[in-house]
Amino acid sequence: MPKNSKGREVAEVVPGKCIGCQLCIGECPTNVITMEDGVAVIEAEGCIGCGKCVDVCPVEGAILFEKQRKKKAPKAAVACPIEEYKGVAVFIEVQNGRGAEVSWELMGKARELAQKLDTRVFGFLPGYNIKSVAKEAIAYGCDIVYTLDDPLLETYLSKVYGKALAHLCQQVKPDILLLGATPLGRDVSSVVATQLGTGLTADCTGLDIDPECRLLMMTRPTFGGSIMATILCRNHRPQMSTVRPRVMKLPEKDMQRRGEIKKLGFEAARDSLPQVLEFIPRTAEAGEVDITRAPVLVVVGKGACDSKSLPMLEELAHLLGGTIACSRAVIEAGLLPYPRQVGQTGKTVAPKIYIGVGVSGAVQHLVGIQGSDKIIAINTDSQAPLMQIADYAIVGDYQQVVPRLIEGIKVRTEKEASKG
Amino acid sequence: MHIVCCVKQVPDTTQVKIDPETNTLIRAGVESICNPYDLVAVEAAVQLVERYTGRVTVISMGPPQAESALRECLSIGANEAILLSDRAFAGADTLATSYTLSQAITKINAAEPVDLIICGKQAIDGDTAQTGPGIATWMGYTQLTYVSEIIGIENGNITVRREIEGGCEVIQGRLPAMLTAELELASIRYATLPELIRALRYEVKVWGAKDINAAPEKLGLKGSPTSVREIFAPPVRGGGISFDAKEKKEQAVEDFLGALFTKEKTLMEEILIKASYAQE
Ligand SMILES: Cc1cc2nc3c(=O)[nH]c(=O)nc-3n(C[C@H](O)[C@H](O)[C@H](O)COP(=O)(O)OP(=O)(O)OC[C@H]3O[C@@H](n4cnc5c(N)ncnc54)[C@H](O)[C@@H]3O)c2cc1C
Ligand code: SF4
Ligand code: SF4
Repeated sequence: MPKNSKGREVAEVVPGKCIGCQLCIGECPTNVITMEDGVAVIEAEGCIGCGKCVDVCPVEGAILFEKQRKKKAPKAAVACPIEEYKGVAVFIEVQNGRGAEVSWELMGKARELAQKLDTRVFGFLPGYNIKSVAKEAIAYGCDIVYTLDDPLLETYLSKVYGKALAHLCQQVKPDILLLGATPLGRDVSSVVATQLGTGLTADCTGLDIDPECRLLMMTRPTFGGSIMATILCRNHRPQMSTVRPRVMKLPEKDMQRRGEIKKLGFEAARDSLPQVLEFIPRTAEAGEVDITRAPVLVVVGKGACDSKSLPMLEELAHLLGGTIACSRAVIEAGLLPYPRQVGQTGKTVAPKIYIGVGVSGAVQHLVGIQGSDKIIAINTDSQAPLMQIADYAIVGDYQQVVPRLIEGIKVRTEKEASKG
Repeated sequence: MHIVCCVKQVPDTTQVKIDPETNTLIRAGVESICNPYDLVAVEAAVQLVERYTGRVTVISMGPPQAESALRECLSIGANEAILLSDRAFAGADTLATSYTLSQAITKINAAEPVDLIICGKQAIDGDTAQTGPGIATWMGYTQLTYVSEIIGIENGNITVRREIEGGCEVIQGRLPAMLTAELELASIRYATLPELIRALRYEVKVWGAKDINAAPEKLGLKGSPTSVREIFAPPVRGGGISFDAKEKKEQAVEDFLGALFTKEKTLMEEILIKASYAQE
């Protein structure tokens, strides 16, 4: 226990744990906390050992202070009778008349959470002509699908969908609500959370139930992916979380599964709503492939960012039935368009095989490839972070390695073909 | 036309790292910058004012140091800058942040009606596009996120192009509206010397909780439903086999393929079969 020269027990910040939120600074009655290099520092001589900084610090263990004091329970802003809220709900997004894959991925996660909480899984399905989607929801693990079927819900409008989902939450009162972090899911989740005055944790990479307090533990990268934070929503319901596509595993579909479909009524203001004048689909011809769906990705990094090498890398991808993706450095260099970017500010991918060519493996890149089955890395630097985590690391210049790889794979493809 | 832009000061996250030995944060010399998406929002607002006349007010919630982010915005053409800074704001999550910002906008609106709010689509330090829609909801404004082009403003309607799943849409909505900006929305100009000097000399107004008439229980940590329970280093995958193609060259690549096709036999067969179908 640190003491200052006056013999007083003082508080001490653990630099590695402090997230630099600056909350303690506002609390300290003697103003002895300052920020240095992004973390709080307590000047021991001026500290009176009141412990107020410890109470306010959101990170357990970020401030060392051993003098025993009763920690005040955090006050809930608006107490909401939590026991009333039960069940794990998933917002089912409709894309081109079908359920979005991410909604089914979340359905799998919802089942797992519901099992731990010993409760049921609900599907929240606003849309128009959505019967078949509701049936699919049951096959993917939903116990009760609540549908709002209305022509007004055919095209997405923030206001209308926000109201529809908030309405469903008020009626059904789920304990947890999960949404896919698609453009639509992000847009609507925030509207709903604000309307209901509840917490929302975006882009979670892990969801679990705390066995003791039975709260949803929402884990997500923060500070640009350099660290992970586990977030709780203690006193407000539903506990809302968005998850990106491909982060959770798609569950098996079981057409024999039984469930209920309940149609609810819905009233929405129809005046002064925005109007969609035109929809311009992105087409494959426009050079935009969906890199999240390719079984094999050849990921171009700064170390292979050269227009002359691109055909060779494309050939490698092609041989394996895959496609080209890249790191942000390559986007910045203008070699490939943004939809090809993998990583925190790009897409999360989970191919069967990821081949990184001249990719160093910055944290922001790595958070986007965690779900890959096998990672292969080609780099001149054996110490590059991606090389450290790769299942297969090839140390060498890609200009020499890749042509040999192509040759070797061609030989094997022919062998495979001659087998029949 | 009066446009309000909400900007955030963020740490330059490229510099935040984890020490692999001790699993702690290394943040020596982390610089703070104005979130790049927010600068695009300000640039787009300034361009609209150049097209239709009007004024741009930028606001930011943060510690006193966040003033420098506001000066960056002034240097590219924003007219006014207000910093929302108060101990009571500290520890705010998105709900409390969007409440605080919308209280400030309500006050600005009372003095000079606000037609448009533009926010960046996300912050590079981990925030994900939640604040803008939150503000639109508190204010009851038309919400248009992921805007990549502002096509025009006419008769109290704004028409924009939005980037959505599978394509983009052209959508028209009533003003007042809240937009969130994609990076393509505008390319940020270089500040001229006179603008830089004006930005440096400008006296940024500072508003606290009382100035914006905020309900104390909705602010900062108290007004935030979510709280951090713990932080830790990202999980790492264990390493695998390494092949040194520097020395033995040819042989190493062959060794690698040998290992790959032996260890992942079924996977590789499946992949080659699928690939050969795709090529036909
Ligand atoms: C907020 C934030 C978000 C970000 N989001 C993303 C994101 O979503 N996705 C992303 O990818 N990045 C993202 N970044 C950027 C990220 O931090 C890295 O800068 C980037 O991923 C580096 O790309 P790279 O690995 O291609 O380049 P570098 O780090 O420059 O690595 C190049 C590698 O190539 C190797 N090399 C050089 N020559 C050869 C050769 N001849 N043969 C083989 N190897 C060679 C080098 O040894 C080196 O390891 C983000 C950054 C920030 C701050
Ligand atoms: S224990 Fe009290 S006096 Fe010491 S740093 Fe913390 S808040 Fe300040
Ligand atoms: S409250 Fe805790 S996490 Fe926040 S700055 Fe202070 S010590 Fe760091």
